[in-house]
Amino acid sequence: MPVDNARTRDALLGFADAMDARDVADAAPAPGPELHLLTFALDREEFGIPVTQVREVIRVSEITRVPQAPSHVRGVANLRGRILAVVELRSRLGLPPAELTARARVVVVEVRGRVLGLLVDAVSQVTKVPQASVVPAPEEVLSGDSDYVTGVARWQSRLIILLDLEKALAPTE
Amino acid sequence: MGGNENPFGDLLQDYVLECLPLAEQVADTFVELERRWRADDPADAVIASLAGRLHTIKGNSAMMGLAPMREVAHALEDACGLLGQRPDRRNDAAAALLVTGGGLLADLVRNASPELDPAAADRYVERVRQWLASDAAPAADSQPERRQADRRAGGGAAGAEKAASVVRVDFRRLDAMLEVLGEGLIQHSALAEAYREVARRGGGSDEMDRLDQAVIALQKTLKRLESTLMETRLLPIATVFGRFPRMVRDTAEAVGKRVRLVQAGGETPLDKAVLDRLSEPLVHLVTNAIVHAFEPAEARRRAGKPEEGTMRLEAAPQAGRVVIRVSDDGRGLDERAIRKKAEALGPEGRSDESIPLRNLIFLPGLSTADRVSTLAGRGVGLDVVAGAIHALGGTIDVETAVGQGTAFTLSLPVTLAIVRSLIVEIDQERYALPLAHVAETVRAEPDAIREINHRGVAQWRGDLIHVADGGAVLGTGQSRSTPRRFYVVMAAGGKRRGLLVDRLVGHQDVVVKGLDPELGRPDVVSGTTILGDGRVACILDAVRILEGGRRAG
Repeated sequence: MPVDNARTRDALLGFADAMDARDVADAAPAPGPELHLLTFALDREEFGIPVTQVREVIRVSEITRVPQAPSHVRGVANLRGRILAVVELRSRLGLPPAELTARARVVVVEVRGRVLGLLVDAVSQVTKVPQASVVPAPEEVLSGDSDYVTGVARWQSRLIILLDLEKALAPTE
Repeated sequence: MGGNENPFGDLLQDYVLECLPLAEQVADTFVELERRWRADDPADAVIASLAGRLHTIKGNSAMMGLAPMREVAHALEDACGLLGQRPDRRNDAAAALLVTGGGLLADLVRNASPELDPAAADRYVERVRQWLASDAAPAADSQPERRQADRRAGGGAAGAEKAASVVRVDFRRLDAMLEVLGEGLIQHSALAEAYREVARRGGGSDEMDRLDQAVIALQKTLKRLESTLMETRLLPIATVFGRFPRMVRDTAEAVGKRVRLVQAGGETPLDKAVLDRLSEPLVHLVTNAIVHAFEPAEARRRAGKPEEGTMRLEAAPQAGRVVIRVSDDGRGLDERAIRKKAEALGPEGRSDESIPLRNLIFLPGLSTADRVSTLAGRGVGLDVVAGAIHALGGTIDVETAVGQGTAFTLSLPVTLAIVRSLIVEIDQERYALPLAHVAETVRAEPDAIREINHRGVAQWRGDLIHVADGGAVLGTGQSRSTPRRFYVVMAAGGKRRGLLVDRLVGHQDVVVKGLDPELGRPDVVSGTTILGDGRVACILDAVRILEGGRRAG
């Protein structure tokens, strides 16, 4: 089931506004624990995953199609002699498909001992956000299949959707 | 039970290696079931997915004489069997019962030993029996005589002393060496390609000749390294056959039959990776035969056969492959009953007399005996066996004669690790086709392929064969302006079919790499490999393509 993306975004933005007041109150720079994230762009949203799950980021090279593979699988690529399955994260998260641009990258992640490539629109940066800036995702976002969103980091006017890769990449059967 | 240095110890270790992951999956699945039921999801497919695993654990436990595991697995099978048919009984109590059982089973397997205390298992089996009976609907029959005398580890014949020059090597090291060799082979083809490119631009010097010789010499060396390594990975098939005497005895005893096992060709070598995945389908075949094929002693006497049935397990090398025959002198397959049953299964099993029996008995859900016993008959049938053999790049065939017996013939590759392949191109993508299944490559002349009943048909060696479009089979074909230029005739298990391709690229020994679970289970692809130019190619599953590329289950 695709996520209703427009609805999700509106919910997030509305939620962000509502949070502003609280931000002011919490504005004191309390250097608490931080999250170390790799952030990337997908369909005009910024997503974040823990850097501990990221092995490397590679350019999109030759990706071989695999007949009859699930539709969210882009194909397989050669990662230094090892076969890497490349997942279209857009499709996996129910976002609309898009043409690849020169900024597209494959984020190589390790989840539960499995190494997978995630095709994303662009990789933004490795960033640290205070744990305190993370709030639970609003109910509307959590409906349906999107339980892979663990929260939203509001940090320096950015809105980073935190992904639980284990859930996002769980078998679909 | 005495000393620890008996050959049973090794078997026990194999048992744990094989069954523990299965038992853990079962336990995990029960937890998942509980979660789904609470979410009002009937999860029928999840319940159904357990049957094969439980059956294997039960079969292997029976083979090892490990009664507690066998009984718990059997109880869980009973419970799942009932829950599969009775959604009304899927509740929290049932889920809790399963979760407890799954955990117990995994614990038992993890600590497998002949001295295991059966008390916990007995208590659990009793709980399941009460749960099964706690309903007006008829539950599965309980076996009155499930007392199993404790067994002493059987013959010590397997303990032949090995020469002192033999070292034990962890098989994972051999796998790692193979990986490195694979990289070497790929780098060699890259080097050879670079050389050809340079030569094309204008070589001809002495240096170029020396380079050429070095590239060729390197290839020969890599080839020798490959064959030495492949030999190192081979083990005699006796390592799998060795489990059967005990299993045949126990199984036959459990169903009250007398069966003699005759083995031959135990010295036939096979790659350990193949052997590891061969034992399960063989266990299914042998168990099925003992439970269903042999007539009761009385009936055998009347038919003029010895009261004791004979089960044969034979292996022999044949043209670079290994052929295994599993045969019995039982009642033979009842063709009429099978056709009738197949018809009931739906359109796939039309009772068209022209469909050979062998195409019917491997259909999912086809098992002629409706009886439930401790050991088989739960519908983990020949389709599962055929699937496992196909997954190994093998074929399975059956011959039967009423009153005389049934023989299954398996043909398997000696190794799974390196496969000599034909590289073809279809819709700009390259694929490897194992040469073992390639009969010929043919240039597709414009008029050679005619259409009959919307299927391409061509004359090949005097016969008409179906020629399918590669793009259509793989699901990559768009509307094409130019016709494909070649077709590859594939052959396996008496079937032949042509596959239209755009280009024949060449022959290559490819190092087989697995399919990531993320890729699902594509029917027509058996694995992946890396070609000389560094690109990944899918290895096509010729057997499945010959079957029509339809999902079998």
